Amino acid sequence: MPRSALYLAGRLAGAALTVLAGALVVYFVMRAAGGDPALAVLGENARPEAVAAFRHAHHLDEPFLAQFWIWLSGMLRGDFGRSLTIAGGIPISQLIAQRLPITAFVGLYAVLIAVGISLTMGTIAALRRGRAADTIATSIAVLGISMPDFWLSYMLVFAFALGWHIFPAYGFVSPMESPIGALYSGFLPAVAIAAPMAAVFSRMLRTSLLEAASRECVVVAQSFGFPAPFVFVHYIFRNALIPYVTIIGLQIRYLLGGVVVIERIFGIQGLGSLMVDAAFARDYPTVLACTIVFLTVVLLVNLAVDFICVALDPRRSI
Amino acid sequence: MTPRRRARYGRLLAAFLVNPTALLGAGVTLFVLVACTLGAALMPYGPDHADFMDLLSPPSWQHLFGTDSFGRDVLTRVLYGARVSLVVSAAGIAIAAAVGTALGMTSAYKGGAADVVLMRFADLLFAFPSFVLALFLMVVLGFGAANVSVAIALTYFPIFARLARNMTLLVREEPFVQAARLMAEPPLLILLREILPNIAAPLIVQATIGIAFGIVIEAGLSFLGVGVQPPTASLGVIMADGREYFQRAPWVLTMTGVAISCALLGLNLFGDGLRDLMDPRLRQRAQQ
Repeated sequence: MPRSALYLAGRLAGAALTVLAGALVVYFVMRAAGGDPALAVLGENARPEAVAAFRHAHHLDEPFLAQFWIWLSGMLRGDFGRSLTIAGGIPISQLIAQRLPITAFVGLYAVLIAVGISLTMGTIAALRRGRAADTIATSIAVLGISMPDFWLSYMLVFAFALGWHIFPAYGFVSPMESPIGALYSGFLPAVAIAAPMAAVFSRMLRTSLLEAASRECVVVAQSFGFPAPFVFVHYIFRNALIPYVTIIGLQIRYLLGGVVVIERIFGIQGLGSLMVDAAFARDYPTVLACTIVFLTVVLLVNLAVDFICVALDPRRSI
Repeated sequence: MTPRRRARYGRLLAAFLVNPTALLGAGVTLFVLVACTLGAALMPYGPDHADFMDLLSPPSWQHLFGTDSFGRDVLTRVLYGARVSLVVSAAGIAIAAAVGTALGMTSAYKGGAADVVLMRFADLLFAFPSFVLALFLMVVLGFGAANVSVAIALTYFPIFARLARNMTLLVREEPFVQAARLMAEPPLLILLREILPNIAAPLIVQATIGIAFGIVIEAGLSFLGVGVQPPTASLGVIMADGREYFQRAPWVLTMTGVAISCALLGLNLFGDGLRDLMDPRLRQRAQQ
């Protein structure tokens, strides 16, 4: 077996173990925290017999690890189980299938905006180092990290929805129903999510461009008389891409759930909101399913980033 | 303090004074600290002083940030609220720094199975979106200021653990640590007296940025109603309140957010400046 395949297998096995451990920890913490899904469904004044029947029907009266095993064996067969409380009885896979495309769409939308802004701002700042353009771009970037994203959302709503009536203030059309509508209604939330990311990306791009530009290979290329744009693209930009791609990959975990507040503000039914609602209602299997999805996506993205970095820089090996 | 170390600190201070980013950051941070201690005490209104003749009035010279739905002066509330937010965040980061550094250093110095387990656990916490993790912890632990600190600590400690571990691995092989080991100094003393002072700089930078992070987490949690609980007013609580009547009185939410952005800007600039000063690669380049 080639080395990279071995490496991939090892990484996948490690990721699977991490996901399993994560689910166990989340489950343990939830159960240790108390609260009862039976009371969440049946109300605080439910009859004891009804509560007992509910608990028995959902295996809640069995030992802790036995319950986890029931859930895990179902999950390994591809069955996430059914929602306990928030969407009583609906298969969780169905809930996730509704929410994941929305989260993925808004996330991707925001990343594209952030990449577009940061490629422009970071490059300008690096090329015009120490001049006015650099100062302006760097200041905008520091401002970008310093504004809480939910506050920025309200400012955008204030300006573009309440003031100018260009974009809707609330509500999001699922991309499954209308891609154009999703692009339009998702614009303000995507910008609010993208702003801090764009700031982080362009700072990183500026730093790594400057570092790449100070390498000896650039001086050599210049002394060959290569035109400046050629040197920039092939000697500076390409070397600067690796840290840039890495940091984009790191932001994926923020996109998956860190935007819960923005989802609330704009009424977006995303995955983060699902997990939080489920945690409130002690919907154990739904929380666990969200945990699995989160961890799997984050770990797969990390893996993909590592492979992209190797592709960008053939000297690296895995 | 040895003369050599004093000289090193002198050089750092001199570099600090000519670094505009660090100076500006330190200035803004200092301004925020003075405003929410001395400034809050000097305000003519109390944070809970309600004036029902002056509800939801826009910013004016009497009320620079306007008044809220109880006729309370928003600037006064923001200054007192910033105090709560800063304390909650700093407490969380202090716990994260203490626990994370201790665990990271020990596991790097000892190595072995404990090291592997600890780092896997840190990676696991790190794989969760930090805000979802904090929210989840709040739901599980219960709402309130103290638990916000705990949630901040738990989401941020992997960063300290990993940083302390990586730095310790580097410093552990230095000759002065080897010498201390040959002189049979107890491991605890080696960790505290030989290694910790040499890895403190990046940890301090991380703590500065961490406090900014904590303020955002606190504001977000309280904004959703699961963080600090009214009547205690933190910045997030004031913003959540301002959201209720955002269309009629946008200044409550807007001005509170401007205040938060100011505090974060100061901390971020300060952290950036410190990092530039302490990063040996950047320092070398500046000398060339």
